[in-house]
Amino acid sequence: MSALEIGIASFPALMVLIFLRVPIGLAMFLVGLLGLVLVTDGTQVAFARLKNETYTTFSSYSLTIVPMFLLMGHFATLGGMSTALFKAAEGWLGHRKGGIAMASIGACAGFGAICGSSLATAATMGRVALPELRQYGYAGGFSTATLAAGGTLGILIPPSVVLVIYAILTEQNIAKLFLAAFIPGIMAALGYVIAISVYVRLYPDSAGTRPPVPYAERFAALLQVWPVLLVFGLVVGGIYLGWFTPTEGAAVGALGTGVIAWLNGGLTRASLSESFLVTARSTAMIFFIVLGAAFYNGFLALTQVPQELSNFVVAQGYSPWVVLALILAFYLVFGCLMDSLSMILLTIPIFFPVISAMDFDLVSLAAMQADAAMEVLKAGVPEAMSAETLAGIKDAIASGAELTREQMKELGIRVTRGMANRAEAEHVAIWFGILVLIVVEVGLITPPVGMNLFIINAMDRTTRMADTYKAVMFFVGSDIVRVIILVAFPAITLFLLPG
Amino acid sequence: MRKLMTGLARTLAIIGGIVLSLLILLTCASILGRLLNGFFHGDFMQSVAPGLADWAIGIGIGPVNGDFELVEAGVAFAIFCFLPLCQITAGHASVDILANSFSRRVNRILRMLTELTFAAVLVLIAWKLFDGMMSKRAYAETTFLLQFPIWWAYALSFVAAFAAALVGIYMGAVRTYECFTGRILVWDGVEATQ
Amino acid sequence: QEVTLKLHQFLPAQANVPKLVLDVWADGVEKDSGGRIKVERYPSMQLGGKPPELMDQAIDGVADVVWTVVGYTPGRFPSTEVFELPFMMTNARAVSHAYWEMFEKHMKDDEFKDVHILGTWVHGPGMIHTADPVETPADLQGMKIRGGSRSVNSLLTKLGATPVGMPVPAVPEGLSKGVIDGTTIPWEVTTALKVPELVENHTEFEGRALYTLTFVLAMNKAKYESLPDDLKAAVDKNSGLEFSVFAGGTQADSDGPARQVAEDLGNNIITIDAAGVEEWRALAQPIYDEWLADMESKGKDGKALLEEAQMLIEKYTPQYSN
Ligand code: NA
Ligand code: NA
Repeated sequence: MSALEIGIASFPALMVLIFLRVPIGLAMFLVGLLGLVLVTDGTQVAFARLKNETYTTFSSYSLTIVPMFLLMGHFATLGGMSTALFKAAEGWLGHRKGGIAMASIGACAGFGAICGSSLATAATMGRVALPELRQYGYAGGFSTATLAAGGTLGILIPPSVVLVIYAILTEQNIAKLFLAAFIPGIMAALGYVIAISVYVRLYPDSAGTRPPVPYAERFAALLQVWPVLLVFGLVVGGIYLGWFTPTEGAAVGALGTGVIAWLNGGLTRASLSESFLVTARSTAMIFFIVLGAAFYNGFLALTQVPQELSNFVVAQGYSPWVVLALILAFYLVFGCLMDSLSMILLTIPIFFPVISAMDFDLVSLAAMQADAAMEVLKAGVPEAMSAETLAGIKDAIASGAELTREQMKELGIRVTRGMANRAEAEHVAIWFGILVLIVVEVGLITPPVGMNLFIINAMDRTTRMADTYKAVMFFVGSDIVRVIILVAFPAITLFLLPG
Repeated sequence: MRKLMTGLARTLAIIGGIVLSLLILLTCASILGRLLNGFFHGDFMQSVAPGLADWAIGIGIGPVNGDFELVEAGVAFAIFCFLPLCQITAGHASVDILANSFSRRVNRILRMLTELTFAAVLVLIAWKLFDGMMSKRAYAETTFLLQFPIWWAYALSFVAAFAAALVGIYMGAVRTYECFTGRILVWDGVEATQ
Repeated sequence: QEVTLKLHQFLPAQANVPKLVLDVWADGVEKDSGGRIKVERYPSMQLGGKPPELMDQAIDGVADVVWTVVGYTPGRFPSTEVFELPFMMTNARAVSHAYWEMFEKHMKDDEFKDVHILGTWVHGPGMIHTADPVETPADLQGMKIRGGSRSVNSLLTKLGATPVGMPVPAVPEGLSKGVIDGTTIPWEVTTALKVPELVENHTEFEGRALYTLTFVLAMNKAKYESLPDDLKAAVDKNSGLEFSVFAGGTQADSDGPARQVAEDLGNNIITIDAAGVEEWRALAQPIYDEWLADMESKGKDGKALLEEAQMLIEKYTPQYSN
């Protein structure tokens, strides 16, 4: 067998192992190891790589963000932030039809702003909101589905562990990815609220009501969420403004939530130990998958499969949009079976080169030049510039033509084709990252294998899984609508990015 | 035995958690130092209280030297410390959609094979990490800024990786026992405790 | 073909060194072997691992050929650091020539005994790029600077600056957000990092550069030994002294156009003259002493190496100066 054939054969091998319930990280590690042994005729290379690779994979400065964000989420709960968020949202929305469910979504969105993990958001908000929902007569499946969907906001709204991993895999800027995730994250929350109102209209019996809360109480509850705003502002704002790197931001957030939890009396020796244990378990799980993926992807690169696949797709001459749609559909289907992080680690090294080789035309050189020129002209026409030159520049901008070297020199700007290409590459990478993030997160709530569904359903023994499956399809529907909108209008995702 | 191994895993996880917390404090101290250093060097302090500012800079207020490499060494150790707990609580992510339709017997055999393989992999990782440590030691490789020998960091991680391998072997034994006796010792979500 | 060589390195394929140096080497080997050697190129650490692992990958045969920065593995090849000392480096061709000669004489069977080295070179003159002008050592007081090498970092500390450790790709972000006030890199790298658009001041040193970095192109020893004589000859023909000088020179040749970009933007290019360099050089003496002490602790005669390096650089510099 040639190296390429071994590489291709590794996919079914990996799938068989995974469906035999071999842990995903272990499966990737094993296939990578055996593949490497086959391709290089012996254990020498594989063993030599192991000498350093486990250590260097675990000693990653950027990935340190992962355990820090996880710890931050636990501290936030210990500090009472999840309860405060839910109380505030419930005060304002609870009396409406489906209002408590909407409040749950709002609280999940708020908690997502200080928690980097979907499972943690689902588990935390489930514990807070599920009893309330059931108490006020919300149907079992509807309640669990709402919270499972709300949990995905933990990742969709920055900070987000999955985005960090994507950024590292594709060498993109974490701060920019967080920024780009913001509007789609808000859209997700709004989409879920709409899904809820549609659901309660179709099944009026599925939701009860509670009496309105006096305004004084509502404002009082709102005041209680200041720590959330503070931490979110400090972490995401600080990363964006460049006060610190994303890893430093995670450290600040963990310390900040830790201090708040301590001040609120939530941080005791026992609860601290518990936070460490829970963080330890999730971190080890994530990093073993990262290790397996690193090993598997190193092997795959050696077999040249990613390059060949990319060449093949490009040679077919499909439209970039068709390729994108196929990839997103692939994630949606596979998301029914696999968890988000494994999917990203497994597939991004293969799909990203394919997408990078395509031209989506998100950035035009002429438009970039026009922006820079307008910026200069807004501050006043340069003195030395002749009326003729100015007219030429204005013509070019109006007709969408590219500026000449001389025109740019006169303006004192420099916007080259290279800069436009770099911007295009970065925009595509960020936009694709957000789309992938959304479709893999949908996987957390698509039946039959959806981690969030399992977590929430396990909290309510009276609700049948089938009821949860049925109700959650409304939320999945809103997710799919959102993906279509974001694919059709890349500008929504890229809107907040600095020019 | 079960108590001993669980105790080992939990203790290591908590040590890892403490190291992680120290790294968080170190990182925050470094940011604070960097901000203060900029502040004391800034025009405001240099004109209002130059003496105080120079004194503060003189005593070394600034980012922690080598924070980056300390975090890298520390987090590797912490993660190796986290592995045993994940192992002993069956915390690794897996897909059980197909496994749910297998018979109990088949599931137990699969689980035994998986856990034995996992143990072998953890032993291999620890063994090769040891080789890596010896090679770093032989080459006297150091870190960039603090220039401490890299093999120290490898050695710390090796201790934890060794413990992970021990726990891995123990879990292999547990699943083998379960397979042959039918008694479930460590619940993993696929079948209930009996 | 009968032999495949996996060439692994950390930069993207279209960057200067892969495109202008490594591809030339690889194409030359393929051609001179009559197509019997194929060089498979793996940019951007595609074969896995992080850049500091490249040297081990060549030693262990994970890759057959690697290009790496010697300083990625501090402490391991202390002799090469003689060329990285502040104000040692004159021009890249001359220093690469001296480096190869001293490599053959002192390092080949000692520090590099576990690999087969194909080339040794340095990049063009390392210099400082800052938001506020740096004309004297005192100007660096209180600035947060990303230092390019170990000895530059210790020099910066001595001069009252704060060295900040960050990977090269993080430099543009760091500069634009003020996390750092400046960075040390050669001109060549500034265009890709948009440095001239982010800071206005560039400080170069006449005659002797602030610093440089040492590189090697290294091959797995067993793989090299396993080649039949005619294929060995094809590899040899493209490697060694001539290749090293070519590689260093090619990297340095990209400095000019990059400098032009900064000039076109109307940036402030400060050149420290020979007398000024002496002042800087005197302040760097502790770095020299530290290195000599370090060498002594490793049982090596640092003083002799230093003198020889200085002598050779002196000897070759006129020869390669335009
Ligand atoms: Na989040
Ligand atoms: Na799913």
